Amino acid sequence: MLKKGRLTMIVVFLAPAIAFYILVFLYPTIRTVIMSFYKMGTVSDRFANWSFVGISNYIWLFQSPLFLQSLSNIFFIWLYGGVIIFFFALLFAVILTSGVKIKSFYRSVIYLPNVVSAVAMATMWIHYVYNTRYGILREIFNFLGIEKLAATQWTSPDNVFMALIVAYSFGMVGYFMLIFMAGIERIPKDYYEAATIDGANVFSQFFRITLPLLQDIMRTNVILWTINAVGFFVWSQLFSPLVPEPGTVTPMIYMYQEVFGTSTVVIDRNVGNGAAVGVTLTIIVVASFTITNLIFRDKKIEF
Amino acid sequence: MQKNKINYKQIGLIPGYLLVSMWCLFTFFVIGWIMLASLSTTSNIFKNDLFADGIHPENYVKALITHNVAKYFLNSIIYTVTSCIGIIVVAAPAAYVLARFPFRLNGVIQKVFIAALGIPVIMIIMPLFGLITSLNLTNSRIVLIILYIGINVPFTLFFLITFFKTIPFSFEEAASIDGCTPIQTFWKVILPLTQPGIITVTIFNFITVWNEYFMALIFANKSDLRPVAVGLFSMIQSMRYTGDWAGMFAAVVIVFLPTFVIYILLSEKIIANVTGGAIKG
Repeated sequence: MLKKGRLTMIVVFLAPAIAFYILVFLYPTIRTVIMSFYKMGTVSDRFANWSFVGISNYIWLFQSPLFLQSLSNIFFIWLYGGVIIFFFALLFAVILTSGVKIKSFYRSVIYLPNVVSAVAMATMWIHYVYNTRYGILREIFNFLGIEKLAATQWTSPDNVFMALIVAYSFGMVGYFMLIFMAGIERIPKDYYEAATIDGANVFSQFFRITLPLLQDIMRTNVILWTINAVGFFVWSQLFSPLVPEPGTVTPMIYMYQEVFGTSTVVIDRNVGNGAAVGVTLTIIVVASFTITNLIFRDKKIEF
Repeated sequence: MQKNKINYKQIGLIPGYLLVSMWCLFTFFVIGWIMLASLSTTSNIFKNDLFADGIHPENYVKALITHNVAKYFLNSIIYTVTSCIGIIVVAAPAAYVLARFPFRLNGVIQKVFIAALGIPVIMIIMPLFGLITSLNLTNSRIVLIILYIGINVPFTLFFLITFFKTIPFSFEEAASIDGCTPIQTFWKVILPLTQPGIITVTIFNFITVWNEYFMALIFANKSDLRPVAVGLFSMIQSMRYTGDWAGMFAAVVIVFLPTFVIYILLSEKIIANVTGGAIKG
């Protein structure tokens, strides 16, 4: 009797979540994969109007200079942004876990950009930090007497890519810092005490104790960062809001223009290409997940 | 002796203090300047003398009324509050069942939900748009709410599973002795006990939904339906013609204020839970 009541309960309680899952994740994912092998004029075209084209959407995509540029852009966003973010996140995590006073204040401020709308953050960077008339960078470099840097057009086509990466990374540092901090705080204090007694300085403590014991955290962070970089969209759109420019285009922007865009750049619209972009990105996520797990294999650390 | 040792350590930390302080100062300076500029005028902003012509709170009136930010703000509240409630109604019962009952498909279902956390939004957006267009639902708020619920269920589910696991079985046993059915037990006994977890995860969901941009851009890009993030973007676009910079900064402040205030009040709670999932995963 109790057993039967439980079965009903399991079904009733799980049904809504599973229904939403099927509607929002399962059905769309499968349909996108199928769409990527067909050609169609609009997203809402009925299946009868689709024509099967095999892998030619993918071939077309990998011959499109703008798409290749977008792939190279997210690779460098991933690489440069990753270096900046992981460097500062680790550095701040080490500083804040080494006995700094008002630690929770610093931690809160550094994490702050993560709770603010990306559109608002990007607007602050573009229209204040990087502004060449009254921007903060201009003021800082003028104050330091480096007039050449003060006069830099940060968001001009030559600099916009790095400007974009720096602005985006600034906000993400706090998120990864928190995860690193939690990882460092798990490491037993006596490891460091023993190392201090043996005469190891802070740097060798970092490279010989902290870093090796953070390997599983590193794996998590690399995967999270990759998922983030692949979905790069808002910042790119704000840094070149009118048309996708080669300097800042990312696959999401490319797909948005190809499928939903109003711009006249796209002449022969084929939504199948957009689907192929989606599948390509998903393959990148899965591949990087697998590779990262292989690199950090058997590195589950228990204390 | 002990005291000297501590001071010595703090001295060694001075470069560290300097670095994090500079980082924080930069953050404050940028946000503070935006707030001040939102009370200035466009010509004063360009002259780099914010209050040469006094304080102009009417920028906010302009942003709210002329630039429709009040409407976008109301939309954002509708989207966020409704989806946050919906997410809990859908995810909490499922999380409870998955945390409590070791039935056969339990592990598989959990893995399937975990997989959703890695699916890029680009993978799901096109068929959803197709479906919604063919159902003629493109001009309704309910679409975005349903999507926000669906997208945020997996994360909320995992957050709540760990939470339900901390509640001792004795509560259910006591309830069943008192004659409660399992379903009654969940609503009357277990759910009230999980309140802290539900509040925490709802703070996260609130921030996520309030700041969501991509889906709103695609499914709510009519002026009447826009949430603040998309509204701000469209306003920045039109700025090219109106040139109202002070009004734009006022809009920026209006957009970030709700999550900013929540964060100031609850930052310890938020920060303590950011890392929970990542460390265990």
